Amino acid sequence: MSTPNMQFSKIRLSRRSFLKASAASAGWLMLPGLGMHSSWAQDPRVLRVRDYGDPQSLDPGIASNLYEEHVNAAVHNKLIAYKPGTKWTWQLEAAQSIEQTDPTHIKFVLKPGITFTNGFGEMTAEDVKFSYERIIDPELKSPIKGDWATLESVDVTDKYSGVIVLSKPFQPLWMTTLPYMGGNIVSKKAVEAAGGKFSAMPSCFSGPYVIKEREPKQRTVLARNPEWKGEPAGFDEIHIFPIDDEKTAEMGFEAGDLDYTRISMSSYKNMKKKPPENSVVEKYPSLYYVWLGMNMEHPKLSDERVRRAVQYAVDIPSILEAAYDGVAEPATGYVPPGLVGHRPDTLVPFKADFAKAKALLAEAGYPDGIDLDLEVRNKAVYIAAGQVIQAVAAQAGIRMTLNLHDSGSFWSLGDESKGDRWKKLQLVLNRFSSAPDPHYAAQWFTKEQVGVWNWERFKNPEYNQLYEKAMAEGDKDKRDQMYRRMQELMEASGAYRFITHEAVPVIYTGRIVPALRPDGMPLLRYFTTA
Amino acid sequence: MLFYLLKRIGLAVVIVVVAVVLLYSMIHVVPGDPASVILGPRATPEMKQELHELMGLDRPFVVQVASFLGKVARGNLGMDFFSQRPVAQIVFKQLDETLVLVLASIGWAMLLGIPLGCYSAVFRNTFSDKLVGFFSIGVIAVPSFVVALYSLLLFAVTLKWLPAIGAGEPGQYMDQLQHLILPAFAIGLGWVGYIARLVRASMLEVLNENHIRRARAFGLPEHMIVFQYALKLAILPTVTLLGTGIGRLISSAVFAEIVFARPGIGKLIFDSVVSRNYPLVMGAVLVSTVLFVLSTTISDSVNAMLDPRVRERL
Repeated sequence: MSTPNMQFSKIRLSRRSFLKASAASAGWLMLPGLGMHSSWAQDPRVLRVRDYGDPQSLDPGIASNLYEEHVNAAVHNKLIAYKPGTKWTWQLEAAQSIEQTDPTHIKFVLKPGITFTNGFGEMTAEDVKFSYERIIDPELKSPIKGDWATLESVDVTDKYSGVIVLSKPFQPLWMTTLPYMGGNIVSKKAVEAAGGKFSAMPSCFSGPYVIKEREPKQRTVLARNPEWKGEPAGFDEIHIFPIDDEKTAEMGFEAGDLDYTRISMSSYKNMKKKPPENSVVEKYPSLYYVWLGMNMEHPKLSDERVRRAVQYAVDIPSILEAAYDGVAEPATGYVPPGLVGHRPDTLVPFKADFAKAKALLAEAGYPDGIDLDLEVRNKAVYIAAGQVIQAVAAQAGIRMTLNLHDSGSFWSLGDESKGDRWKKLQLVLNRFSSAPDPHYAAQWFTKEQVGVWNWERFKNPEYNQLYEKAMAEGDKDKRDQMYRRMQELMEASGAYRFITHEAVPVIYTGRIVPALRPDGMPLLRYFTTA
Repeated sequence: MLFYLLKRIGLAVVIVVVAVVLLYSMIHVVPGDPASVILGPRATPEMKQELHELMGLDRPFVVQVASFLGKVARGNLGMDFFSQRPVAQIVFKQLDETLVLVLASIGWAMLLGIPLGCYSAVFRNTFSDKLVGFFSIGVIAVPSFVVALYSLLLFAVTLKWLPAIGAGEPGQYMDQLQHLILPAFAIGLGWVGYIARLVRASMLEVLNENHIRRARAFGLPEHMIVFQYALKLAILPTVTLLGTGIGRLISSAVFAEIVFARPGIGKLIFDSVVSRNYPLVMGAVLVSTVLFVLSTTISDSVNAMLDPRVRERL
């Protein structure tokens, strides 16, 4: 084969011209970034935060996710709201005053002059009545109906005053209903005009911000509410980016695209040691609780001694070190420190006791050990935790097989309505979210929840009785004892090995002053500039 | 040619229907309950049952498939029960973002890859050719998510030249372009190598054909021989590759969409599968399947147009 008789000058494609063209192309590609003040660069009047999910529904009556509440809390008002800080407490928001006149009656008076945007007028007690009663209306099918479990009615006294009437005392109301998702007040006129519920975008707002723009899966933009007469909003706009992956959010923060984000536990130590320029890294205790659950009705686990052997074979410090990078603390139950019902200690020590585990197994008829399946959600942290549990438990003769599931599959593992999968369920590494009242977490472990969310199938009459009593008990110390006892009953059953409450590490730029709940979750309406 | 086109379109429709039925079956076989995800942990069994009925999940599987295909035939992709918005609206919004990303990625890869391939072929066995070959194999070997991560670390985190996350302000084209550079770079880089190698191989073959030698003998300028005669034939395998490569590009886009927190159809499908959002999964899968089949149909048709022998093979 002959080589083409090529002369560079003839084809006008020389090495030099080729390199020039390539350099010019690359330069053109990079041009926008070189020295130009780009629109993504920080604007002092705009707050850019990351949330872990994209709001699906922005009607407070049917929204049930925390990331929806982050938006709703900024654009609507509640009678009372969580106070930013390190202690769980509340402050007045739309209410001028509020008091519990007896165990089933709460009297409130609204601040005059709070208006709904788009001409929907002033907020009145009728709006409060409408907002709370619609949640218990079966027509709405509100997922937060349980927050108002004992609401009978809201009686309107005059334009600004009313009385919340309960069918029976309900203590969680003050910490998990009124200042949380169930407490948002909407305009009766606006909701009725929208046909009974807001679809994608509410037609009016009453908070310091309004929703200016919704780009699903991309961002939600809140803008200053021009009709707001309270404490001025801290920013002209808040841009909320839905980013599920914490590592992506960390890079976004480091690139200067975000002002506030939660970070991964694995990054916390490094970032704390060497934070990005002009930024603050903090860690907050979380309300989540993680535990190893055992299906009490599975033939292999029906013997309490086998369950207790598993409890003793799980080494909590190793899990916390390997899966949580030593950032999280061990849990003693479902109530984290600082809340009513927190247990100071557990029945089974945090450190594994292999001798005891082996003895219990032998006593139960398994002198050569036992094979069990452990179901785990396929997220790095749970896989790591599962692997540690597997490796450590093997030393006690408990041979575990790890089965990984994506979220969709995992959350139906113990659900009776989804077929017979629950019958095969043996061990499960589980994690639930919670709220700042023990009632919220306690509700999932009652007899009625067996086969729904109570996958351990724990049925204890004393637990159920205490659950009902604690819900109504007004004496803080008595409530505290009740919830402690309930968690003790769970642990004593052998079906639960509480692991951790995790932790919420966050990072924010020095140009802002964040307003966070004690668990590190943002209260966007109170964020200000430094 | 017309007969070829009709046959090709008929085949495309059959492929789409079969693919959709298969995917519909597969997604329903995977365990998981959309009602639990939509309604959250606080939903009662009655509420879940009601949603199942509303979504038609209580009906026999065959009825569900038939109903879905019937709706599709009427141009209705259904309703997303999570957000209460039409599936078509959500999917096409995300599709725009993915198409822009995919076209930008393949566009810059072609702009660089084709000249590189021509250059290598023309100067074959020189140091420059070997350098281009080394570069091409190198970039093919690196997965796009690795390129995404490192380019993010370098250009966004360290140098702060380009933004790291999002797709830019709607309506601000310069901002959107800046947000597009890193993801398009990450996805397109491997394609530069593919295209360069493919164009080089085809060019080498074509440059030695009789008609090229004859053109050279007639004294035609070399640039005219390379770009007007040789490249026209040498580009055929690249056109085919691009047609079938759309599917791969969409899967690469998933990584870029996750790493750069960009909206897009790949990420939409991923999120919807995880949350068992069946209407959205099916809508998005249908649209991306149609896109894939459409791109292969177009590339086959272009091939058939450029090379009449292809028409005989279907």
